[in-house]
Amino acid sequence: MTTDSSRRMIELVHLARNYTRADGQRVSAVDDVSLIVPEGEFVCLIGPSGCGKSTLLQMIAGLVGPSSGAIVVDGKEIDGPGRERGMVFQRDSVFPWMRVIDNVEYGLKCRGVAAGARRDIARDYLKRVGLSHVERAWPRELSGGMLKRVAIAAVFANGGEVLLLDEPFGALDYVTRRQLQEVLLDLWEEPGRAVPTVVFVTHDVDEALLLADRIVAMRNGGIVDDIAVGAARPRDTDTLLLPDMVAIKHTLLGHLGLAHAARAPAGERGAA
Amino acid sequence: MIGVSRQQLVSLSVFAALAIGWEILASVYTVEAQPGEPMVAGWGTLFTRTLLSLSDYWQGGFGVPAVADGAARSYPAALLSIISHSLATLSRLASGLMLGGLFGLALGLAVSWSPWSRRLVQLPTQFLRALPLLAMVPLFQLWFGTYFFGQVLFVSYGVGVIVFAGVVNAVRTIPQIYIDNARVLGASRSHLYRTVILPAILPAMRSVVLLSLGAGWGAVLAAEYLGAQSGLGYIIVYAQQFGLLDRMFLIALLFILYTSASYWVIERLFTRLLAWSPSSQATNQ
Repeated sequence: MTTDSSRRMIELVHLARNYTRADGQRVSAVDDVSLIVPEGEFVCLIGPSGCGKSTLLQMIAGLVGPSSGAIVVDGKEIDGPGRERGMVFQRDSVFPWMRVIDNVEYGLKCRGVAAGARRDIARDYLKRVGLSHVERAWPRELSGGMLKRVAIAAVFANGGEVLLLDEPFGALDYVTRRQLQEVLLDLWEEPGRAVPTVVFVTHDVDEALLLADRIVAMRNGGIVDDIAVGAARPRDTDTLLLPDMVAIKHTLLGHLGLAHAARAPAGERGAA
Repeated sequence: MIGVSRQQLVSLSVFAALAIGWEILASVYTVEAQPGEPMVAGWGTLFTRTLLSLSDYWQGGFGVPAVADGAARSYPAALLSIISHSLATLSRLASGLMLGGLFGLALGLAVSWSPWSRRLVQLPTQFLRALPLLAMVPLFQLWFGTYFFGQVLFVSYGVGVIVFAGVVNAVRTIPQIYIDNARVLGASRSHLYRTVILPAILPAMRSVVLLSLGAGWGAVLAAEYLGAQSGLGYIIVYAQQFGLLDRMFLIALLFILYTSASYWVIERLFTRLLAWSPSSQATNQ
């Protein structure tokens, strides 16, 4: 959306992360990744499983420390998690011992926002994700899709400038996934506040094409492609049939190791 | 509903059969430990003569004089005797549970709090866990005396060791995702412990608390066997010295009543505390 903004929100500088496996072998999960994400951009990270995209996201979240390199968010090098970077996980992260509204309020409570004010904010976001009616419910009474809505509401209520999503809709059925993609975009484009910068990890090509301003493809711990998606918003299933989109899809399928399903790459800018 | 009442009927029949079996045994097996003191006392004896004899342990007060001061045995004195000695035992148990529970919880959480707190806590607690509880009774007596403080300390030691081990284990099995989620939402460490670690270990603590309750009952009895001047354990030891088997048996029955009640209370408490938990965890076990 606002990619014309020159302000760098996320800057990854020669980032690397190594693991030592149980058998003593050293594995390089993320290998010398450099990337700049301007403020307000919606970036999808895509790649086959094990390519390091989730590790990369966890490093930006501050949950995993880099082996070498640096992560700069909004001009400051990060050292651990921070409120300005919200995260939505693939697995259910909603606290089962708190009622829905208390989950949404959690981040605000951590910051010491007064009870009345945080309740108002939480109610507002619960309404936006369509869950006003289950405000006092226990999470165990909710479906997987509803739990994801709670997690999204909690992150947006916390008001971070950066939003990190780690295959958030990967475990959901098609209809629920499409609904939640819309919920996410509505919140992202919400008028009256700065558009959050999003890094969205997925293995679903269509999802990336529907959501992203820019798609970064990864393989074996490195970035192999960096593609701008120019299609206008809002996008729908027909948008995916535009020639440019089909070309990008073919390129991405090639990166995912599905070369037989892809044709010659087009509309790309080459590896970063 | 019919199924439930049927189950209750079966339970009640078993209970009645046991009671009748005991009565039959009492009438058939009439060997006496000493003259006038049957090895197996029937219900008739237990709830008249034996119950009355508990007046012996009443110190006097509330307008009911003590047998030691020359008064005759009476049911009010027996009842007051039971109440006062039960209260002595229960207050030791409750204080010990509270103290041991708090210390066990605090030390157990300290293991995961930071590398430094782990180093400080882990080795000493390993030593404490390795000490056999009952072997420590005489030592505790000599160190801390035979009064309330020493007994409470002994109970809290027995309870604390179990709670500590349970907390360490429960913290270890908390799904990482909840901790990650709290951290990215901005929780400080103390906030994380209050709002995530404590509630997350609650389902596992249910069985830990029940276990430590059992250990607590054992420990409070052990403490009273050796040197207490009041409490149900004191009555048992005193009765044993004079071969008064019926009194020991009556106190044992009282114990069954109390322990069952205490387990029931803890179960109810946890069912309430775990209202959020998926029903498999809240109602089973």
